[in-house]
Amino acid sequence: MRLASRHLVQFLGAAVAIMLMAVALNFVVDPLQLFRPARFYHPMYSNDSRMQNAGLIRSQDFDTVFMGTSLAIHFRQSDIDRLVGGHSLKLAMSGSTSHEQSFVLAAALERHPKRVIWQIDDWIFRAAPDVDSNPFLPANLYRRNARGLGEYLFSGAMARESLWMLARSVKPFEKTVARLTTGVLFKFPIADADDINILAPSFDVAGFYNARKSMAAFVRIIDPVRSAYLAEGYDYEAMVRIFESDAIGLIEKNPDVKFDIYFPPYSILQFVAMRDASPATLKVVYDFTAYAFPRLTKFPNVSLHDFREAKEITHDLGNYGDVIHHSPAIDLKVLSLISERKYVVDPKAPLASLERLKAQIEVYRMSQ
Amino acid sequence: MVRLLDALEKGLMLFNSYLFIFLFLPVALAGYFALGRVGNLAPVVWLALASLVFYSVGNWQYVPLLVASIAFNYLIGYLLIARQLRPSSRFAVLTAGVAGDLLVLGIFKYAGFLAVNFNAMFSTGFVVNILLPVGISFYTFTQIAFLVDAYRGKVARYALPHYALFVTYFPHLIAGPILHHKDMIPQFERKETKRPDPHLILCGLIIFAIGLFKKTCLADSIQPLVSLAFGPSAPSFDQAWIGALAYTFQLYFDFSGYSDMAIGISLMFGIFLPLNFNSPYKAASIIDFWRRWHMTLSQFLRDYLYISLGGNRRGRVLRYVNLMITMLLGGLWHGAAWTFVAWGALHGVYLCINHAWNNYGPTLSPRLAPLANIAGLILTFLAVVIAWVFFRADNIDSAYYVLSKMADPTNIAFGRGEIAYSAFIIFYAVLAWFAPNTQEIMGYDHERRLVGEKLAARRLRPLFLYATAAVLAFGILGIQQHSEFIYFRF
Repeated sequence: MRLASRHLVQFLGAAVAIMLMAVALNFVVDPLQLFRPARFYHPMYSNDSRMQNAGLIRSQDFDTVFMGTSLAIHFRQSDIDRLVGGHSLKLAMSGSTSHEQSFVLAAALERHPKRVIWQIDDWIFRAAPDVDSNPFLPANLYRRNARGLGEYLFSGAMARESLWMLARSVKPFEKTVARLTTGVLFKFPIADADDINILAPSFDVAGFYNARKSMAAFVRIIDPVRSAYLAEGYDYEAMVRIFESDAIGLIEKNPDVKFDIYFPPYSILQFVAMRDASPATLKVVYDFTAYAFPRLTKFPNVSLHDFREAKEITHDLGNYGDVIHHSPAIDLKVLSLISERKYVVDPKAPLASLERLKAQIEVYRMSQ
Repeated sequence: MVRLLDALEKGLMLFNSYLFIFLFLPVALAGYFALGRVGNLAPVVWLALASLVFYSVGNWQYVPLLVASIAFNYLIGYLLIARQLRPSSRFAVLTAGVAGDLLVLGIFKYAGFLAVNFNAMFSTGFVVNILLPVGISFYTFTQIAFLVDAYRGKVARYALPHYALFVTYFPHLIAGPILHHKDMIPQFERKETKRPDPHLILCGLIIFAIGLFKKTCLADSIQPLVSLAFGPSAPSFDQAWIGALAYTFQLYFDFSGYSDMAIGISLMFGIFLPLNFNSPYKAASIIDFWRRWHMTLSQFLRDYLYISLGGNRRGRVLRYVNLMITMLLGGLWHGAAWTFVAWGALHGVYLCINHAWNNYGPTLSPRLAPLANIAGLILTFLAVVIAWVFFRADNIDSAYYVLSKMADPTNIAFGRGEIAYSAFIIFYAVLAWFAPNTQEIMGYDHERRLVGEKLAARRLRPLFLYATAAVLAFGILGIQQHSEFIYFRF
């Protein structure tokens, strides 16, 4: 009995000691650089932006924040700096909702940047679970509360990444470890923060973004079997309510920050699909714009850019991989247009761009 | 408190959660042993109540159903055991009891499935939206076994608290092992189990640690690869095989991990649960596989269905028919879907072929036995993997689609990712085929109520203790999110 009790104590003691070693390792290496910027090893980054952003906000120097969805995910920070100016931090998250974006932006604004470039569209304001019910966003890590930091430090997966980063910082292992870092076995495969979620050099851009693919996507979404999805998430009342709390609420709280908000250049096919297969959804889009644009342009610290009417982009179907996602070349074009302020919405005529967009949609015929 | 509220909101108290490991289990153990000083009954009541609390987290709306099921079966059992009924009345009572159980199971588990198929056949529009109460298949089966044994005169009368604990006992309540009253209730009645035994607690912790490691570090890690075959993208030949094999190993490490954790937890209370797995992928035949995979279900189906149908006592042809019926119903037990029926049917066919081979096949010379064993192992494994495709697929068409990709070697991706994934699969295969299983590591003998004899006799080095402590630590560190066990949905 006495031997068994001793064994039990040894067993539990050893388990606790090993867990504490993992905690110490995570604290010292700190893969997300939550506690301090990496010093004695080369920092690595993950494409899981919902997790990685919590660390980037703490570790990077920036005066401009770039936020958005998958439409903004492939932008390079260096391109933003070059074409728009400033020193940017990209925090775009694929498929993100306004709850997520507003929450992450609020965390970034605690570092007092001067400017926010924010890609928004109607769909981010769909009804969605709050950030604490969202399993993909580690909200407590952004809050840096005990639970968030505890889960970070007590994470075996993070300890594995810590070990991996340490191994990579040892000269003789460096090359081998780098070769094995594919993102499959280890989740922090990116060596430069500028490369996070960037299309790989080997990516077949022409094969992915072309008129054939955008037309195929158009045909798919207007298929009567799937066209109901066009209306998914488009509830005017809910969108307005969420827009007020997530977008307007954040802007009101930060009057000293300059907001460049842009509606991305969806291909014209997206709206034509709505026109032909789901007119009620198109009406929600119009109504939401009619509500949101006058609201946004009232703020002196907001510049609103509406690229939906940028015909030279939206009518060239070769720019798209489907009906909304544009190519990296258009990423650069968008940045230039923000800088040139070519499509800025006039606060005195906030619905003029909407009227021009409506006219384009009405006259567009597929033979074009 | 926040954790508890989260769990109540999100549903299910998982063995692989901080709430369970650091709060529920220590409190349940402390209360059980503290009350053990008071008497022999109080700990049983405590454990039954703790089990109801465990079940009510995320399932509170089904607690009345569970309690009603216990009361109903206890009453039927009482009529069969304590009352001197005539044979015809006894049979009527048994029939009413079993029918009642199956009716409830049918309503909650199969009504939606029946409605969908009825609508498809007769173009009707019945809509049945009933949520499946967690664990209903398990607690229904354990109680049917009790009623049948009571009818057969194999059961002494049990006190209600012991019977209630037998059904609700939280280590097994949600996903088994399927317990037998004759195995469990005498253990609940023993005074010795109410005194803390450091050796059993240590062995229980180690077995729990191995199970937790299997779940959080092995099963959850390979889970993303499953979508290569069963995800939205069209898989190539190698991706389809990687996905199917990933599911094969995920299911094993997930379910056997759960069973290990259940056995380990129970052992801390001094109660020995039956084994549920015995390295099933080491099986050299399908008959052997079913003696190693989900063993308590196989035993149940054999004792209460196959033998009740006549087993092999009514000639060879009927034996095959009984085998097919047993496996079809065994498949349907897993879920109300044609994919499970197909999976059961496939295993029924496998078993028939295996029995026919044993009866009519050639007798091999002993010299060829090792070779035949290896061939049998590979063939059995491949047959099992193919059957798992039906088990995992969303519908029969998807299963055929994945199988068609697995049979089309002309379309191979085999890029950098696939090479890394293949290394993963090989690592899991090595574990499943060559590593000792939990009961071998721990010397767990359910029949003789023995465990960890080598540890007690100091024949194991301290290294063993520290290695298993590391397994526990990694298992806990691996807990990242709300990751349910696959068998919870059955």
